[in-house]
Amino acid sequence: MSTTAEPARKAMPSALTFDRHAKCSTTKARASTLHLPHGSVPLPIFMPVATQASLKGLTYDQLRDTGCMLCLNNTYHLGLKPGQAVLDSVGGAHKLQGWDRNLLTDSGGFQMVSLLKLATVTEEGVRFLSPHDGSPMLLTPEHSISLQNSIGSDIIMQLDDVIATTSPDHARIKEAMERSVRWLDRCIEEHKYPEKQNLFCIIQGGLDLELRKQCCEEMVARDTPGIAIGGLSGGEAKEEFCKVVDTCTGLLPENKPRYVMGVGYPEDIVVAVALGADMFDCVWPTRTARFGDAIVSSGTINLRRKHFAQDFRPVEEGCTCTCCRPVDQGGLGLTRAYMHHITAKETVGAHLLTIHNVHFMLTMMGNIRQAIIEDKYPEYLRKFFSNIYQGDKSKYPDWAIV
Amino acid sequence: MDEKPPMTFNLLGSAAPVLAPRVGQLSIPGRKVITTPHHVPLTSRGTVPHIAHDVMRDHTAISNLYIGLEDFIERSDSAPVYKTPAAAHESPLKKFTCLPNDMPVILGPRRFPAIVCPPPNTSTSIALSTSIGFRQLPAKQYVEAVKKLRPDITIGMADLVLGKPPGNKRREKMVDRTHAFTRDGLEQLYGNTVAENGKSKTAFFAPVLPLDNAQQSLYLEDLESEFRWDISGLALYEAASLEFIPASLGDLPRLLFSDPATPHDILREISLGADLLTTPVLGASSDAGIALDFKFPAPVAQDCDKQPMPLGADMWSAEHATDVSPLAEGCVCYACQKHHRAYFHHLLAAKEMSAWALLQIHNYHVLDLFFAGVRESIQHGTFEQNVEAFARFYASEMPESSGQGPRLRGYQLPAPGAHQPRRIPKVYGRLEEVIDSSSVVTPDTDASGLEEHGFAQKA
Repeated sequence: MSTTAEPARKAMPSALTFDRHAKCSTTKARASTLHLPHGSVPLPIFMPVATQASLKGLTYDQLRDTGCMLCLNNTYHLGLKPGQAVLDSVGGAHKLQGWDRNLLTDSGGFQMVSLLKLATVTEEGVRFLSPHDGSPMLLTPEHSISLQNSIGSDIIMQLDDVIATTSPDHARIKEAMERSVRWLDRCIEEHKYPEKQNLFCIIQGGLDLELRKQCCEEMVARDTPGIAIGGLSGGEAKEEFCKVVDTCTGLLPENKPRYVMGVGYPEDIVVAVALGADMFDCVWPTRTARFGDAIVSSGTINLRRKHFAQDFRPVEEGCTCTCCRPVDQGGLGLTRAYMHHITAKETVGAHLLTIHNVHFMLTMMGNIRQAIIEDKYPEYLRKFFSNIYQGDKSKYPDWAIV
Repeated sequence: MDEKPPMTFNLLGSAAPVLAPRVGQLSIPGRKVITTPHHVPLTSRGTVPHIAHDVMRDHTAISNLYIGLEDFIERSDSAPVYKTPAAAHESPLKKFTCLPNDMPVILGPRRFPAIVCPPPNTSTSIALSTSIGFRQLPAKQYVEAVKKLRPDITIGMADLVLGKPPGNKRREKMVDRTHAFTRDGLEQLYGNTVAENGKSKTAFFAPVLPLDNAQQSLYLEDLESEFRWDISGLALYEAASLEFIPASLGDLPRLLFSDPATPHDILREISLGADLLTTPVLGASSDAGIALDFKFPAPVAQDCDKQPMPLGADMWSAEHATDVSPLAEGCVCYACQKHHRAYFHHLLAAKEMSAWALLQIHNYHVLDLFFAGVRESIQHGTFEQNVEAFARFYASEMPESSGQGPRLRGYQLPAPGAHQPRRIPKVYGRLEEVIDSSSVVTPDTDASGLEEHGFAQKA
């Protein structure tokens, strides 16, 4: 490949420790604990996305109550609002939003390319036209890291060259992968606080397993504290997704956390965990809550549907979230009927269902972790899919049968 | 009729019953006690806007709620609220809305402030605006709903004319209809024809119409005599009604459906003897991004020439962008304990829902303290002086908001019509722009601004 690794690299301190507790004897699933500057995170974990330094109407105590130890902010959004000067003045994103647990920030590369019209990626960085006055602008890996240094998140991501996995242009995919490696070097160079913020590299390479292998090799050599697998969950076939995760985890060191970016459907998470991934994030659980969708063990139910209007059961029977727990157990005892009454009509409906969905995802991750520790993960998987497909094995998706 | 609804109202001290501020205690067995004067938090579809149930429980001191039946009865016959399973001692309304049993709940036919309905009221029903359109609510059905839903207090149905002053003939009708609604309602709830165990435990607040004394004198006389035993309070629709409440009704609690623009207005209404008051200005301030900041009694002014202090701060204003101080100095509310002005400014600019949730917590706290100060001041006999000092110390208007509020839903807005602005602007012919500005977050500054922000550089 065109990038030859520098013989003498900048030393890569780490601001985390990674304790592995158990490994599934059948699958590649692992249970571990990630110790970060703002507390310990049990892995595998799902990270809710508080894009603009706020989790969709929730107070940070409500988020704490779901058990969340690590949530996301987005560099792109925080760079625009409130901007670097405010972040520096306030003292970073933890202080801005009053969250004393861990933060992870995405680098903003994905948003640049997906949200801004006329963004083009060059070797220097992402070129785009300022939407206000049309003047050409350039966002570089250095900008992204400098912003993330100002944000002060516990885990920061390199700026990568993101393209859709479904892109047919193989040369472009290869270029993006190689460029992401070169940009990683620039990010490492720019990173001011490696002793308190952990920089994660992002493995690229589309669905080409050979490119993914090369990328793993190059990036593992850079010895970042953690490793992300990027460019997935862009509409690729599930088989392809599994192959990429499987290939990458096979090449990654055992002693570092692995983060599969943008993955959040429960089915995808349980499978990716079986393939050896530890960390996940997605806006889906919180976004779908605002549309009235509750995540339950049998899938999702849309509480706006009329037949929930007189359903006086909790959103999910036995769920221990603040909303579903009965009043005599300190919960709110909310019913599907009432959620139907307010969902998509009152902001409170969104708040309450967001609590339920985040709690559901985190409880699911806790159950996954427990199953791995007890070496019962295959049983967990069977139960999980049986719940979703009412025990009808013929309906199981092919990609999920490992 | 031997048994009265179990609500009691005791006036503290020996204040004159009419046209004077007074302190009282409204208690219902098993419910939080309301000390008056007190504000009445307004709900929308059973929630205090933006305040989730656990936030209300953990971070506010909300001690009573007003609920409008029209938020629950879109479909005339089969409203789910009536099907709520509840034990005999529980209110199906509270069960449906998942409110704690000890929360005193006041049920009226309509939201407050109510939206003007184009269809007129009739002699047996009033027009409602539900989330799916207008409908009539027959008076009989309303009382049935009260019996089924068992709120702690109900507001008797009144024939009100909203949006324009009623003409002479209409006023007569208002009185006649309201008189009949009240008479029939009381009979249906507590009358001799109702079996002893079927008598309602809900306290009935009889409406007093926003008309002058003479026009409704017959009705008022009946309230004093025939209806006196059955009514537990009065519901007023304008502060002027406080001036002619008959002495014999003086010991009844008075709930004023009021829309005060400022705390000065609230004080004026309290000084006329209002016990419970609605304050839509509270929610409107939160929606507008205004953090209230006033105390009663007002702090002692250091300097006589000082400009009046603002009643709140507009968090949209860029002056707060890096301000890490709380919304109000020394405030102990949850929002101020956990967050600073810079965060509120950011949340509003980013249109995050948390902005309104946290502002509501703060604004409720400010109003709670304000009313506590009012009660203390009345008891100390210093109310009048304190009101004067308050008027000198604070600005006479609320601060203006420079931003936008949350998206409003149909049932929160006046019905569309010839005189209403378009709810959704026309978009034909500029789809491209609409796509650009829809959900996509774009910078709101130009290239130099972006460079200054450290977001990117000019290429």
